[in-house]
Amino acid sequence: MAKKWGQQIKSWMTKQMELPQDVMMDLPRITMVGQLHIYIENHRGLIAFSDKELRLLLKQGQLLVKGKAFVIKTILPEEILLEGKIEQVIYLNDDK
Amino acid sequence: MRNQWIHLYSGYVTVKVSGKGLERFINALTRSDILIWNVKRHGTAAVTFQISLEDIHNLRHEARNSDCKIEFLARTGLPFLMKRLLKNSGFLIGGGTFLVIVFLLSNMIWGIEIKGADPATEYEIRKQLDEIGVKKGKLQFLVDDPESIQRKITNGVSSITWIGVEVQGTTYHLQVVEKNEPEKPEQFGPQNLLATKKAVIVDMFVEEGQPVVSVNDHVKPGQLLVSGQIGKEGEEKSVSAKGEIFGETWYKSQVVLPLKSNFKVFNGNEEEKHFIKVGDMSIPIWGFGKVSYPDFEKEKNEKQFKFLKWKLPIHYVHDTYRESEDITRVYTKEEAIDVAKEMARKDIKNLLPEDATIKGENVLHHRIQNGKVYLSMHFQVIENIAKAYPIIQGESE
Repeated sequence: MAKKWGQQIKSWMTKQMELPQDVMMDLPRITMVGQLHIYIENHRGLIAFSDKELRLLLKQGQLLVKGKAFVIKTILPEEILLEGKIEQVIYLNDDK
Repeated sequence: MRNQWIHLYSGYVTVKVSGKGLERFINALTRSDILIWNVKRHGTAAVTFQISLEDIHNLRHEARNSDCKIEFLARTGLPFLMKRLLKNSGFLIGGGTFLVIVFLLSNMIWGIEIKGADPATEYEIRKQLDEIGVKKGKLQFLVDDPESIQRKITNGVSSITWIGVEVQGTTYHLQVVEKNEPEKPEQFGPQNLLATKKAVIVDMFVEEGQPVVSVNDHVKPGQLLVSGQIGKEGEEKSVSAKGEIFGETWYKSQVVLPLKSNFKVFNGNEEEKHFIKVGDMSIPIWGFGKVSYPDFEKEKNEKQFKFLKWKLPIHYVHDTYRESEDITRVYTKEEAIDVAKEMARKDIKNLLPEDATIKGENVLHHRIQNGKVYLSMHFQVIENIAKAYPIIQGESE
């Protein structure tokens, strides 16, 4: 309950103060260049990686990227640059 | 990273990781700030990536805490290249030494060829060359240039008139003209002696033939002096007339000498500069700073380095700056006349053959005009005026 309260206050604050949401709320920021690159900031680590699938842990839920011939060009604690042919980007929310 | 080429300098390793929990392992790496890139999946249980050389130590450390096995596939970059180079340094040193040796040998003197000199003169020239420092095995850019070798040998060896020095590759070719050319075989055919100049005969020394003139006779050029026809009339026979007829001849010499003249003389101070010139760029080696003389003459001495048969665009430049001074020389009238007389004497001596002597001299007149001395002088000279002319058979009766 307390966590939810905190979230709500944060959300309300960012709305009122017009702060960038990705910074305030630890949301992922995803940049894509066509189907070639996907650049994800604010992830929380790798869960699964193969040449067809990349599964990333986010602060809330997971991000699933599907495609072909995946290569992680760079991986840093909070950033990842993936190359290949990207077909799907899916958000998975475990808290229903 | 974006500028991956920088890793080429620091070196990087391609690593293969196999085992369980590969993702966990990668997460662990990223969390401990180890940079990895080009992560690729190979099947279910293997992953390859590249990692910079500096992080290898940390990678091992992380691997120890996981269930993964690491394996190094390829080593790329400068540090590994250097290591390989060091391992094969023998080749490198060999190659370098080879180039240096070929370079040195290309700039060495390998031969000195002397043409046109008899053995005695050749020996003398070789001795002189040794003294100058031109020897087999010397480096060409350490010895004098051909012109000064030429000058020094001409000055040092008295028995040669002229010597040409030419460098062809690694060989010095010396072309010698000797003073004492082998004498032409004397003509012993019938000949007369004729006068070459207008003269009064002073002394006669006839070896063979019939003298036609006597002492104190005045002769004209071309006049018969000693006849090659001897014997009584009717029984004449031709001989080769030989002898020396000394006649008094006259010469006139005119000299003009300014009373005041300006000279440039060197006062002996000099500075030297050495450069290596590569293309148009000069790199000073020795002798820095500006030349401190207000007035100087510059002598440039350039030598090109050679490599095998090619000439390299590299020169060794040796500049000599000699300080010069302006000197004004002023003669008094008496001095000027004396100097002019001396000049006239020298003039005449140059004209005369070696066996001639100056018997007397007179100053015909001298005047000083526009700051110059005009002097004309008359010389009486005793010299051999006889010259042999062959008698052509049909001419004699």
